[in-house]
Amino acid sequence: MSNDKIKVAVIGTGNIGTDLCERLLKDPKFDVVAFVGRRSTSSGLTRMHGRVPNLLDSGIESLEPLWPYLDGVFDATSATAHAEHWAIVQKHKKWIIDLTPSRIGKPLVPVLIDNSPSMKISTDYVANYSMVTCGGQSSAALIYAITKHAKSVEEVEISSSIASLSAGPATRNNIDEYIDSTENMATLLTGCSAVKSILVLNPAEPPVMMRTTVHVRAANFDLVQILQESRDLVAKVKSYVPGYDLVVEPHVAGSGQISATVKVLGSGYYLPEYSGNLDIINAAAVETATQHVHLSRLNHERITT
Amino acid sequence: MISFYDVTLRDGNHAMRHSLTPEFVREYCQIAEQSGVWAVEVGHGNGIGASSFLVGKAKSDDYSLLTAARENLKKVKLAVHAIPGFATIKRDIIPAIKAGVDIFRIGTHVTEVTTAQKHVEYLSGQDQMVHGVLMMSHAIDLKGLVSQAKLMAGYGASAVVLMDSAGNYVPKDVATRVNALKQEIGVQVGFHAHNNLGVGVSNAISAIENNATIIDGSSMGLGAGAGNAPLESIIVNYRRMKSGAPSLDKFLEMSHLVETKCPEYLPRTTSSSIQSGDAGVFSGFAPQVKQLAAEFGVSQEDLWQELGKRRLVAGQESMIREIAQDLMNL
Repeated sequence: MSNDKIKVAVIGTGNIGTDLCERLLKDPKFDVVAFVGRRSTSSGLTRMHGRVPNLLDSGIESLEPLWPYLDGVFDATSATAHAEHWAIVQKHKKWIIDLTPSRIGKPLVPVLIDNSPSMKISTDYVANYSMVTCGGQSSAALIYAITKHAKSVEEVEISSSIASLSAGPATRNNIDEYIDSTENMATLLTGCSAVKSILVLNPAEPPVMMRTTVHVRAANFDLVQILQESRDLVAKVKSYVPGYDLVVEPHVAGSGQISATVKVLGSGYYLPEYSGNLDIINAAAVETATQHVHLSRLNHERITT
Repeated sequence: MISFYDVTLRDGNHAMRHSLTPEFVREYCQIAEQSGVWAVEVGHGNGIGASSFLVGKAKSDDYSLLTAARENLKKVKLAVHAIPGFATIKRDIIPAIKAGVDIFRIGTHVTEVTTAQKHVEYLSGQDQMVHGVLMMSHAIDLKGLVSQAKLMAGYGASAVVLMDSAGNYVPKDVATRVNALKQEIGVQVGFHAHNNLGVGVSNAISAIENNATIIDGSSMGLGAGAGNAPLESIIVNYRRMKSGAPSLDKFLEMSHLVETKCPEYLPRTTSSSIQSGDAGVFSGFAPQVKQLAAEFGVSQEDLWQELGKRRLVAGQESMIREIAQDLMNL
């Protein structure tokens, strides 16, 4: 199997894009070919001088000569720009990881790739994966573990609290869309339509770490299995999000109800540690790209050998 | 003239553990309609769209409560509270418009007003009356308070309401804050008291004396934690201050209804409420604090203090368990 590095471009030089670029530069599996912004003086682009070979400042158009050298791209721009980016990426037959709230791509939470049929890696090389939301990424393992060992799931609730400082203008402006996307993922995962997502911003100093609580109501549960499955899946998330921890284990929280809480501490590549909400999205993006390329290379070998 | 804003059927729903029914709403609104109160707010304690495991499941859904109120309020305005992060425009606010709500109050923690921009702008764009609510308004300095209030006004709120969600103010704090807002923002100022320190009514009167024009209260003080400023007590005071104040009888009739219908839920100032108020912790945490302190064998006092230290905000109910667990393991 090919051990070539995965050659990528990161589009968007804001906080998320910059953190992602730092993360990919430190990951031996990846080769960051280009970092793409809209202003040559942006702090993100300036920071990558001498570290990324192609620092481009005219948006996705400036990638034109580089497409033959790329496997895929990460999009950390905006929901509106993403629609346009996806069209171009398809034309060049590449994959794209969407970190915007556009909801165009297939929602993917990497920890569940081998578990949930709703979270499979695409068999087409040309693919678009949506990283959902921080609430979605942090809750999916618990939702899956609890509902897998429950009968007749009646309600699923996800509540997250994040540090105010970690919520930028995009999060604040799209709080309804955040709720919608998170709820859609929970429905996709469980088939349950009675889902609710809540987001709370906490301004305390020092900033709080992100916490997500999952609450499930169902006809009955196997708590022992849920505990085991949750611990296993949390450990699996931890392999790509080192600051992910189960702080309140699944417990009975009223009749027919199970609840559990995770905490997410960021890795601090570029963003501060309290930005666990942003960290988990970026970590998921890198893991998704890794898994997608791995599968397509396996398939390719199967065809060619 | 003061607009008296009755939160019995919303904040009171916290005290009732969200067990409010359309029948009670109907009966209450029939008296309220005759009382001279300006508006009646209805819904889950944390506003429409907030019924959840996190902050409490409501016995009756928003729509049936709002419909019951609407059918019985003609002169009196029907109002709702909504918190971005819980309620969304599509799922909760649009159906409330359709249910005939007259006043929308969009609330955020006092430092997080930018999360309400879309909701306030949407409502003012729809020509709906919209108020901006600053919850936990004690948890910011005066300059910050003014700038957050200006944002709300800028989005199109016709009033900014200061909520003393933790019941932390004494009358001079109210005077300073209401005054500053009156001078700095060009919209109406409202005040919403909680009675943790036993000065809810005095705080409401202080707001009136400093020219706030919308005053919240609830019958028998039915509300989160130690409850709100009792509306009937505010009216009695106001009658001695101004001529043309509403007469007392219907307010007393509403109190009597609350007193007889839900005696088990009547709030009062307690040692615990004084501690939470003084620590500046959200009053609505009281049921969880009581339950979890017992479950983990820690004292309520210690738990309140720790919640204050960690500066929890409304909506972080799930963290109380983690903190109680930490205290137990100390």
